[in-house]
Amino acid sequence: MAEAARLNLTDEELERYQKQLKVILEAFRMLDEVDTEGVEPSFHPIELEDVLRDDEPSRWSWDPLANSMHKEDGYFRGPRIQ
Amino acid sequence: MSMLEQAHRINQRYRAFNHVAESLEAEGGGRLAGFHVSVKDNVCVKGMPSTAGSKVLEGYTPPFDATVVAKCRLEGAAILGKTAQDEFGFGTFNVNTPYSIPLNPHDTGRSPGGSSGGAAVVTAVADFPHLAIAESTGGSISCPASFCGVVGVTPTYGRTSRWGLIDYANSLDKIGCMGKTVRDAALLLSVISGPDRYDSTVLHAPVEDYGAQAGEPVEGLRVGVPKEYFGEGVDQGVSDVVWGGVKRLEDQGAEVREVSLPFTRYSLSSYYIIAMAEASTNLAKYCGLRYGLQLPLVGSFDEYFSAVRSVGFGDEAKRRIILGTYARMAGYRDAYYLKALKVRTRVIEDFRRVYRDVDVLAAPTMPVVAPRFDEIADMEPIQHYMMDILTVAPNLAGVPMVSVPCGESHGMPVGLHIMADYLGEGDMIRAATAAEAS
Amino acid sequence: MEATIGLEVHVRLRTASKLFCGCSTDSSDAEPNANTCPICLGYPGSKPMVNKKAVEHGIRVAKALNCGLASMVRFSRKSYFYPDMPKNYQITQYEVPLAEGGYLTVNDDRIRIRRVHLEEDPARLVHVGGDITSSRYNLIDYNRSGVPLAEIVTEPDIGDTKEARLFLEKLGVMLDHLGVYDPHAEGSLRVDANVSVEGGSRVEVKNITGFRNVEKALNFEVVRQLSMSRMGIDVTRETRHFDSETGSTSSLRSKEQEEDYGYIIEPDLVRINLSPGWVEEIAATMPELPDQRTRRLVEQYGVSGFQADVIVNSGLEMSGFYEECCRLYGEAETVANWLVTYLLKSLNYMGLSLRESGVKPETFVELLTLIDEGVISERTAKELIKDYAASGESPRRIVEEKGLALMDMDELRAVVGEVVSENSKAVEDYLGGTGKASEYLLGQVLRRVKARADPNTVRKIIMDMLDSKGEYASVAQ
Repeated sequence: MAEAARLNLTDEELERYQKQLKVILEAFRMLDEVDTEGVEPSFHPIELEDVLRDDEPSRWSWDPLANSMHKEDGYFRGPRIQ
Repeated sequence: MSMLEQAHRINQRYRAFNHVAESLEAEGGGRLAGFHVSVKDNVCVKGMPSTAGSKVLEGYTPPFDATVVAKCRLEGAAILGKTAQDEFGFGTFNVNTPYSIPLNPHDTGRSPGGSSGGAAVVTAVADFPHLAIAESTGGSISCPASFCGVVGVTPTYGRTSRWGLIDYANSLDKIGCMGKTVRDAALLLSVISGPDRYDSTVLHAPVEDYGAQAGEPVEGLRVGVPKEYFGEGVDQGVSDVVWGGVKRLEDQGAEVREVSLPFTRYSLSSYYIIAMAEASTNLAKYCGLRYGLQLPLVGSFDEYFSAVRSVGFGDEAKRRIILGTYARMAGYRDAYYLKALKVRTRVIEDFRRVYRDVDVLAAPTMPVVAPRFDEIADMEPIQHYMMDILTVAPNLAGVPMVSVPCGESHGMPVGLHIMADYLGEGDMIRAATAAEAS
Repeated sequence: MEATIGLEVHVRLRTASKLFCGCSTDSSDAEPNANTCPICLGYPGSKPMVNKKAVEHGIRVAKALNCGLASMVRFSRKSYFYPDMPKNYQITQYEVPLAEGGYLTVNDDRIRIRRVHLEEDPARLVHVGGDITSSRYNLIDYNRSGVPLAEIVTEPDIGDTKEARLFLEKLGVMLDHLGVYDPHAEGSLRVDANVSVEGGSRVEVKNITGFRNVEKALNFEVVRQLSMSRMGIDVTRETRHFDSETGSTSSLRSKEQEEDYGYIIEPDLVRINLSPGWVEEIAATMPELPDQRTRRLVEQYGVSGFQADVIVNSGLEMSGFYEECCRLYGEAETVANWLVTYLLKSLNYMGLSLRESGVKPETFVELLTLIDEGVISERTAKELIKDYAASGESPRRIVEEKGLALMDMDELRAVVGEVVSENSKAVEDYLGGTGKASEYLLGQVLRRVKARADPNTVRKIIMDMLDSKGEYASVAQ
C-alpha cells in the first residue's frame, strides 16, 4: 500500500508502522458497534446544494512556472513514463 | 523595539514562527488598523513561504493570498509572519514537523498544543496588538488555545472560506482565530467570515458583528454539560477548574443542566477515518512537480514521485497517507470510509437534538494540561490520537466552538470549551466572555 | 472482423471556460501553459468550482442518447499517479453519474450506453526523445488540464470492428448536431476500446484518436488475439497503447488487478440537483437531432431516405450546405442527386471535408445552373466537379479557363460535317447497313470536341446528316 501511495519505506519503517497501524485499525473497529442501518452518509456537516459557476472565461496574470525547478521553453519538465 | 524585532525576539525564545515577515505593510484604515496578524503556515500568504509545516513544501511561495488573508489586508492589518504547526495539521502537540517546534510560554519544557501551536504561543506572549489566524480540523485551534491559556475560536464549518488553505481534510477544515481575549478573537472572526465564490462549501448566511456579543448578559442562556465529556479520561484538576468556569456562568444567570451525547465515544474513530481518507488524496499532489520540494529529475515517474515523497513527508504524514489509502480501498471502503460517514451522521444528530433544549454546551477543551515533551516522546501514535477525544466530536459535526481560559491546574492553563449550534457564534461569544477568568 | 467490443469515448465539451475554473478552453493559438491558474495546476489551497454550462451539455448528451438522468449528481475523486495529473486525482463522477441506461442505433443494431458522466481532462504530455514507452523525459502543458469531458461508456454490444467505427461516426454526428463539441478541433474525441475474442480475456487499448485509427487498432488487436488463441496461448488481460504510425498495439501495463482508484466523494464540491424544471428547459431547447433531421429532409424536400441519411451522416455542415443550396436553387431533388452521387464522392475520394474544400452553396448552385443554361453538358459537369471539389473555385471560371463550354450548334455541325467528309468509307459502310459505323463517327467527333458537346446531341446530328445523305443517295439513284 505504501507503493500505491508512492512512498518508499525502509524495512525499519515498514516494521514500525505495521505495528502502529495494526493498533490503530483495531481501535477503529469499534465503529462496527454502531447501528447505521438506513443512515445516510454525511459528506459535509451542513448539506449545501447547487453551487454553480457561469461559463465565463477569466485570466490569471501570473507565472505558472515560477515555483518550478524543472522547466523548458514554457513547458514543465516531468519524469519519463517507464 | 519595532514590531518585527519583537516578533524575532518571540521566535528566538519560543520558536513560534516558520517565517517572520521581511517588512510590515498595512494599507488604509479598517477594523484591523493597528493590528498585526500572524498566519498559520498552512494558510497562503502571497509572497511569503507557505510550508504547512512540511518539508515537501519547502521553498513554496504562493502566488495568491488566501481569502481570509485578503480580507484582513482590506481591513488594514499588517501580516506579521507564518506560525509553526504540525505537518499539514497532523498532530496534537506540534511536534510532528521538521521546522520549528514551538515551546509553551508557561513552561518551555511543555508542548504548546497542536496543530496551531505557533499561533497560540505568539498570541500568549505578544504584548502588542496581535491576532492569529489559525486552523482546525479535529481540534487544532482549541487544543493549543487551552494549553497556552488564550482564546481560540473555531467557527461553523463553511463560515470562513477555505480558498488558500492548504488542505488536510476538506469536509473538516475550518479557518478560525485566536486572541488574548474573547472580544479580540471575535473581532477577527467577523472580518474573516463570509461568502467567497472561490469556495463552493462556504455559507452565505450574513456575518454578524460578533464582537458586539462579547459582554452581553447571559441571563437565561441555556447551558448543557454533556456527561460523556467529564468521564474517566479527564484529569480531576482540569475537571474542577472547568466546573469553576461553568459556575461562573450560572452565577451570572445562565441555566445549567446535564445533557447526553451518546455517540461521542465513536467520534474519534469516525473523525480519523474520514480525515485520513480525505488527507491521503489531498497529499497526492505533492510529488516534486510544479512547486515545493523538487529533486533532480531522474528515473521513471513512479521512482521520482516516491523519492520526493519519502524524503518530504514525516512519519505521521506517511502513517496517515497509508491509513487513509487503506480506508478507501475497494473491499475496505464500506467498512471504513462509508461507515465512518454514517457514524458522522449519528454524531451530527446528537448535536442537533441537544440544541433543541440548550443554546450552548460547556466542557473541558482537553482532558489534561499541556504534557511535557519527554512524556510525548514516549507516547504511541494511538495515544496522541486519544488526546483529541473532547474536540473531535464538535469538529466532526462542524459546529462552532471557542476555548476560553478559565483557570490553572498543576500550574498550567486550563481551557473551557463552549460549543454552539450551527451559526450560533453569537451565543458562543456571549457565553465565553462571561466565563472568561478575570 | 468479429469480436466483443466496448468503447469508452471521451468528448471534449464545447464551453468557453474549463470545468472547474475560469481558464479559457481555447488553446489553439496559445503558448504552453498560457491558459492556466492555480486550480487547473493543482496548487495547494486551490479549490474547484463547477461550470454550469458543462453540466447542461452533459444533460443534452444524455438525452440525445436516450439515457435516464440522475435526479442529482455528485463528483468523486479518482486517485492515481501520473505526470499529466495536476493533483494526482481526477475529479470525475463515480458513485452518482449524470446518466445511465441509454442507447444509440447503428444499422438497426442497438448499442446500449451504460453511462454518461462528466470529468476533467488531464494535461498534455509531449514525449521527448521517444514515444510513451521510450522517452527520456516529458514536457507538460496544462492548457488542456481541466477542460470538461463527457465520458460515454457503452456495453460490450459492438460485434465487429467496422461497427465500432460506424458507431463512433454516428456518435460524432450526433454530438456535432447537439452543438456540444467541435469535430474539427484536434483530439476533441478520444477512445479507449475494450476488446476480446471468443470469450478470451479483455484487453484495453487506450487513447486512440480518430475513428479510422479505432478500426485499425481493433483490427490489429483481433488478429493478435486470434493468433494467440490459435497457438494455444492465453491472452493476458492488460492495457495497451496504439501506435498510429505502425498500426500496431503494444503493452503498457499489466491489468491482472484492476487499479484501485480509492474513490471518495469530492469534499470540495456539493451536490447538484438536476431539477425537473432545469431539465425541461434544456429538453425544450435541444437542437434538431440527426434522425429527426433525416426525417424532415425527406418530408420537406422529397429526397429519398437513403440520400437524406447520407447527407445528415456526413455531418452538420453538409446538411446545412444542402438546405442552403435548396434555398438558392429550388430543385431539391436535383441538388440531392448531384450532391450525394457526385460531389460527396469526390470529397471522400480526396479525403476532404466540406470546410477544407472551399466548396460553397453559391458556387455549387452555379454548377447546376450552368447545366440548366446549356453551357456545359452533364457529362462535363461530372468531370468538372472533381476540380471544383478540390479547389472550391467558381465553376463558371473553371469552364472559361479550361474551355469546357458547349459549342454552339452551328460550330458543332461544322465539325460533324468535317468528320463526315473525312470519313467517307465509314459513311458508305453505314449506308450499306453497318450500324456500328455511326458510332465510329461519333467517337471521332468526340475526340475533337471533347467535353464541349453532349454525346447524345452529337449522335443526333450525325444521324441527321447520314440520313439526309442516304436520302440524297437514294434520290441520286
